[in-house]
Amino acid sequence: MEAKTFQGGAHIPPYKSYTEDKPIEKLSEPSEVILPLLQHSGAACKPLVKEGDKVKIGQKIADSDEFFSAPVHASISGTVKAIEPRPVPTGGMDDCIVIEADDGPQEFEMKQVRDPETVTVEEYRECVREGGVAGMGGAALPTHVQTSPRQPVDTLLLNGAECEPFLTCDHRLMVEKAEELVKGAEIMMKSIGANKTLFGIEVNKPDAINAISELIKNRSDMEVVPLECKYPQGFKSHLIKAATGRDVPRGARSAELGCIVRNVGTTVAAYEATIYDKPLIERIITVSGPKVSRPGNYIIKVGTPASHILEAVGVTDLEGVKVVLGGPMTGLSQTDLNVPVVKSTTGVVVLPPEMVREEMDYMACVRCGKCVDHCPMLLYPNEISIYAEAGMYEDAKEWDIMDCIECGICAYICPSYRPIVHMVQRAKPHVEKL
Amino acid sequence: MSKLVHTPPPHLKAEDTVSKAMRDVILALIPVSIFAILIHGVDALVTILVCLAAAAVTELIFRKVMRKKPSLNDYSALLTGLLVALCFSAGVAWWVAALATFIGVGIGKELMGGLGWNRFNPALLGRVSVFLIPSVFYFLRPYFEGITLSTWSVDATTQGTPLAMLQQGGELPGILEMLVWSESAGAMVETSPLMVIIGGAYLLYRGHIGWRIPATMLGAIIVLSAVLGGNPLMHLLAGGTLLGALFMATDWVTSPITDNGKIIFGIAIGVLVIIFRFFTPAVEGVAFGILIMNAFVPLIEKWTRRPSFSEPKPTTSEPKPTTAAAGKGTAAAK
Repeated sequence: MEAKTFQGGAHIPPYKSYTEDKPIEKLSEPSEVILPLLQHSGAACKPLVKEGDKVKIGQKIADSDEFFSAPVHASISGTVKAIEPRPVPTGGMDDCIVIEADDGPQEFEMKQVRDPETVTVEEYRECVREGGVAGMGGAALPTHVQTSPRQPVDTLLLNGAECEPFLTCDHRLMVEKAEELVKGAEIMMKSIGANKTLFGIEVNKPDAINAISELIKNRSDMEVVPLECKYPQGFKSHLIKAATGRDVPRGARSAELGCIVRNVGTTVAAYEATIYDKPLIERIITVSGPKVSRPGNYIIKVGTPASHILEAVGVTDLEGVKVVLGGPMTGLSQTDLNVPVVKSTTGVVVLPPEMVREEMDYMACVRCGKCVDHCPMLLYPNEISIYAEAGMYEDAKEWDIMDCIECGICAYICPSYRPIVHMVQRAKPHVEKL
Repeated sequence: MSKLVHTPPPHLKAEDTVSKAMRDVILALIPVSIFAILIHGVDALVTILVCLAAAAVTELIFRKVMRKKPSLNDYSALLTGLLVALCFSAGVAWWVAALATFIGVGIGKELMGGLGWNRFNPALLGRVSVFLIPSVFYFLRPYFEGITLSTWSVDATTQGTPLAMLQQGGELPGILEMLVWSESAGAMVETSPLMVIIGGAYLLYRGHIGWRIPATMLGAIIVLSAVLGGNPLMHLLAGGTLLGALFMATDWVTSPITDNGKIIFGIAIGVLVIIFRFFTPAVEGVAFGILIMNAFVPLIEKWTRRPSFSEPKPTTSEPKPTTAAAGKGTAAAK
C-alpha cells in the first residue's frame, strides 16, 4: 500500500522509540486532583458541588446549559477541598474544583449497561454529552457537537496519524484497544450518517495498521489509509487532504466537506461513555523524554498534577529542564508543576537541558526559503514574520496570516532562529480587528 | 519553580543556523581558492587575505558606528570578502580589492540594514563599483589604471581570457586545460571551473542552494549561445558564468523565494548574460545580469506567489470571485 500525504511539511526526528513499545499501564493514584471547569473549547462549566462535599468517582461535578460545552466529572472519590483559581496548562489561573482523595473506590467500575449491537444513535449522542467527552487530540471540541450534523456527511475519518514527536498514546491505543476503536467507529459512523470510515495512520505504526486491518478485513465500509510520516500529518485539514484528496478551503466546516475527523482516543472514550456509562475521567498520556527513567504510556486520571506524574516516572532533577504538556511542536511549556493534565493532554514531555533551545538572539530573515519549502499551509512565513514583527498587520493579512495553523515547522527550521509562530500568535488578534 | 525553562512552542529546533550555512559556502569556495593560489602564487594569497581582512574590519566599524552587536560569527562578511577576492585577478592592486570589499560589506550589506535586508548581492555590488568608479569620477582615472572587470572583461594589456579570445576569434585552449587548470589572465575564479563545480555540487548536496536557478540560468546560456552561433561550452566555462550561477545568483537574500520565481530569475539572468556578451561592447555580463535581476526580485515574487492551502479553488458552478487573483485584487485595492 502506498502511503498518502500532502504538500509541504517536514520530517522531524520522531523520538518515539522511548515509548512506542511500552504497553499501556496505570499510573499510581494521585492524592489530589485539580479539575478545571473549562477543559474544552466552548463555554466553561458551573460547579454542581460545593466545598466539603463528598464525591464519588465518575460523579458529574460541573455542567453548563450551553450547547458548546462538556460536563466535568470527579476522577477520584474524595472530598471537594476547594473551588478556586489554580494554574492551568494553557497558562495563567482558571477556576478549578480540587478533590482530595479518600479511601473510597478509586477505580471506575466497568459494567456494561448498553449493548453495542442495539444501542441507538440518540442514546449514543446523549451518553457522549453526559460523559463529558471532548476532543482528545488537542483541539478539545465537545464531541457531542459533531455527532448530529445537519448536513449529510459521507465519511468518518479517524485520526491515528500522531505526527507529533515523542507521542505514542494513540499508537498504543490503536494496538491494544483496536476492538473498542472499531466498534466505537461503527456507532459514530451511524450517528453522523456516514457510510464509510477511514483510519488515517502514519506508516511508522505498522502494528497499529495490522491490528485494525485484521479486524476490518471483511468490511467494505471501513478502510485503513496508510499515511507518510510527515509533520503535521495529524492536523485536521492535512489529514482530510491526504486521506480523501478533498480540498479544505478556509472556513469550511467538516460537514460541508462531507467529512468529520475524530481522534482515535476520543472515539474510544465516546464508546466507553456509551457502553459502560464511563465519563471521561482518565486518559492515556505519553510520558517521555531522553532522561525519563520510566517513560511510558500511562492511564492517568484527568486532573492529576504534573508534579505527581513526574515523580511517578522518576524525574527528579528539573534544573534547566523544559516540561511540555502535549507534543513538543505545539504543546505548552510549564512554569508551575502544580498544573493538572486535562482531557486534551496527549503527553508530558521532559526535555533535558541539552535539548532545550537556548534563548538566543534571533537574526533578520535571510530569505533562505526553508519555511516556504516546508509550510504545510503553502504560506510565506518569511513575509508574515517580518510584517507581524513590524506591526504591519494589513500586509500580514494580505499574506494570509490568518490561514496559519501554528504547526511550528517554520520556527523549527529557521536558521535565523526567528520565533515565527510566536510572532504570528501575537499578531493575529490585531489582524482580526482590521 | 523558576528553574524550569519556559518558551513559546515549538520546543524542538533543527540543526541549521545561518552561521553553519555561511561556513559551508566558504568551505565550498576553498578548492577554487587553493587552485588560484597554486597557479598565481603569493599574489593570489595576498589578494584573498586583504579582502578577508577588509571585510572583517569594515563590518566591525559599520556595526560599531550603527551601535549594533558585532556579527562576524555569522561568517557572511568573510564570505563576501572571499567572493570579492575571487572576482579579481591575482595581481590586482591591494587597495582596489580592499575598496571593493569595503563597498560590498559596508554599503552593499550593512548600510542596507544588515544581512537579510540587502537587495543586491554585496560581493558583486562591491566588485562592480570599483569598475564603475573611474568612469563616473574622471579625475580618479589614473589611480584605477588597468582595473577592468577582469573576470567579466578583457584585460587588454596582458594575456586575454578565454572569453575574450572567443570573442576575438582567437585560438582556444583545450577543454580539459580550461576546465581544470587555466593560467589565463582572468579572475582567480576562472583558474579552475571544475573546482567551482565541485563547490557548487557540495552546496546542492547540503541543500543550501537548489537546482532551479543554476539549471535555468546555465540552460538559457547554453541554448541561446548555440542559437546565436556561439560555442555553448565556452560560454559555460569561461568568465564568471559558473561562479555566478552557483554562488552569486543563488544567494538566499537576493534571489526569489518562490519556486517559479527562481526559474524566471535564472532564465532572465541567462538571457541578460547573452545580450551583454553578444550585443554590447562589454565582454562579460554575469555580474550585471545578476545585479539587474536582483532589483526585480520583489516583483518576481509577487507574480509567482502560490495560493494558500486554504484558498478556495475556483469551481465551475460558482462565479469568479472565489479565485485567488480576485481575492488578492480586492485586498490590495484597499
